Amino acid sequence: MKKILIVDDEQDIVESLKFVLEASNYTCYTAFDGEEGLRLAKEIIPDLIILDVMMPKINGYKISRLLKFDNKYKDIPILMITARSQAEDKLIGEETGANEYITKPFDLDVVLNTVEKYLG
Amino acid sequence: MVRIFVTTEKNELISQYSKICERNNYAFNFSSDAKIIESMISAETPDIILIDDSTPTIDTKSLVKTIKQICETSILILITENNDIDKDLLKTINAIIPAKYSENLIEATISINLRMKGSLQKLSNTNKDLASSLYRLNTLYNTSSQFAGTLDKEKLFEYMIDGLDKSLSFSLTSTLSFCDSTNPVLILHSLYDVSEELLDAIKVRAIYNYKSIFDGKDLPYEVTAESLKVIKSIKHPSNKYNFTLFQFDNMFSPIALGENFYGCIEIFKENHFTSDDAKCFQSITQQVTLPLKSATLYQEIIETNKKLEQLERLKSEFISIVSHELRTPLTSIKNSLDILHSGKCGEITPASDKFLTMAKKNVTRLAGIINDLLDLSKIEAGKMDFHFNPIQIKNVIEDVRTALAGLAKEKSLEILTENNIDLPEVMADSQRLEQVLTNLLSNAIKFTPDNKSITIRTQLLNATEITYHPSFANDLKSLHGDYIVVSVEDQGIGIAEDELLHAFDKFAQIENSLSRKVGGTGLGLPIAKQLLEAHKGAIWCDSALEKGSKFHFAIPVDSARVKELV
Repeated sequence: MKKILIVDDEQDIVESLKFVLEASNYTCYTAFDGEEGLRLAKEIIPDLIILDVMMPKINGYKISRLLKFDNKYKDIPILMITARSQAEDKLIGEETGANEYITKPFDLDVVLNTVEKYLG
Repeated sequence: MVRIFVTTEKNELISQYSKICERNNYAFNFSSDAKIIESMISAETPDIILIDDSTPTIDTKSLVKTIKQICETSILILITENNDIDKDLLKTINAIIPAKYSENLIEATISINLRMKGSLQKLSNTNKDLASSLYRLNTLYNTSSQFAGTLDKEKLFEYMIDGLDKSLSFSLTSTLSFCDSTNPVLILHSLYDVSEELLDAIKVRAIYNYKSIFDGKDLPYEVTAESLKVIKSIKHPSNKYNFTLFQFDNMFSPIALGENFYGCIEIFKENHFTSDDAKCFQSITQQVTLPLKSATLYQEIIETNKKLEQLERLKSEFISIVSHELRTPLTSIKNSLDILHSGKCGEITPASDKFLTMAKKNVTRLAGIINDLLDLSKIEAGKMDFHFNPIQIKNVIEDVRTALAGLAKEKSLEILTENNIDLPEVMADSQRLEQVLTNLLSNAIKFTPDNKSITIRTQLLNATEITYHPSFANDLKSLHGDYIVVSVEDQGIGIAEDELLHAFDKFAQIENSLSRKVGGTGLGLPIAKQLLEAHKGAIWCDSALEKGSKFHFAIPVDSARVKELV
């Protein structure tokens, strides 16, 4: 089973993502702040990371940059979730190396389709 | 007393002239020694000097030269028998008396020359007055043009004192300035330095003067001698004034315009001030008040503007933060509803399906409102990015029509399209145009009753062919050149004529109760208006109640004009 790491300080969002992804037979790991997210990413080396931008301790952009500039983790697809508008996100996303970005409020089906694009 | 001097050694001349002087009550002196002449005329300048050119001990030409140097204003008359007088001499002397003149003629010549001297003197005095008036006028003019050139209150005070110094050459001025009402300043300009004691006295005097203006009534600003800051400017610090300063001539004036009080000024001068000085003082201290008022207003405007800018920024930030903060919980709600509605948590009854659908619909609506608010705050803050590309409008229309086909089908509405000819490409941001058209078309769908139709008409028109309701003249009169005009025509309730212009106002209320029924944020049209303005285009509508509405927007075809924006 493919492993997905979900990092978001919004517990409710993590719960709903986890529910939908587990229903589609993915193994989900969760973290509620950036520090924990980064630690887990390095420990379990997931097949995909769903990453929120605005988080305490280390924000999503920083995590993405740290992972994408490290040869050990640079191939893990990163799906950024943000409340920011698309234009800004596209720009920062490109700089930080995230593979996809999804704006809140997002459609669970869209997330699922995107995940399948990388892991299907 | 008129003084006459004769340079001669001839007794008959001496006696002749002494008699004439006695008769006319002139003071009379004579000598034939060059040195004595020199010292005598140096001691007391004669009005007329008569030079006898037959004196053997004197060289007339050099004597005249010496006299001219010592007594510039004296009249020189040559007594001579000679008919052939040296040319240089003729240039310097004022008159000639032939030796054989009768006493009458001599007297007449002297008196004529005295009168002439008097006139010359007057002329020269008048000239001096004129010159000093001119200088003063020039100073006043310079000062007032300096006043006109600044909106800085401290500079205005500086120019005022400078102007007073130039036109009145005062000994000392003490100016109490309330430029900054909480920090009054005493500005001291002085020829010589002042001692600490004298400075204290000047401070007390300035405050006393200030209080006397208001004569026991409430003072506009509080000030005490202890807290009064002093700015000193001394021209010759090596000398010092003492308390005799207060015996100098002085003038005092408040610097105020109507209700506005800026300070007061006292000016001291060792010599007496003339009435012209007083007028000049009045004029300068009056003239500075109007620019001071402008400067005060200007300062207020700047401060208000700063506050407004800050408010505007806060508003933008507020909207942006609120929208971001709203999106996160909205996401959780939407996700939960989606999961419930998917049936993954249990079976859905028809009733729960109805309410879940309702909840989902409203989440979508709320998300739309947040997006609109964000868009508007971005446009207003000038942060909206546009991507201008050459595009075909008909593609935009087709995309929007397809996207909204489902919505139209629900109400069995037919969406018709009409083009007059093949249309050229325009420079536009297709995403933004889609946003505008989606808004217009979804409004049309909302307001048109079931089973009717909506028409999207596209035309290539010159600005002169575009017709519009006078309410939109302000927005449309600047259009020129060719435009693609897209019109969305519905068969809905329409808009009353006097409400047309407000259709594009933020949170417009024109749709009133019906708007509530069909939903909508009231932000779609103002956003559309701003988006079109960014395209150098325009949006307007015409409508009549119960007759349906037509919304039109125009995009310029001349691509060069839009390219300037990119």
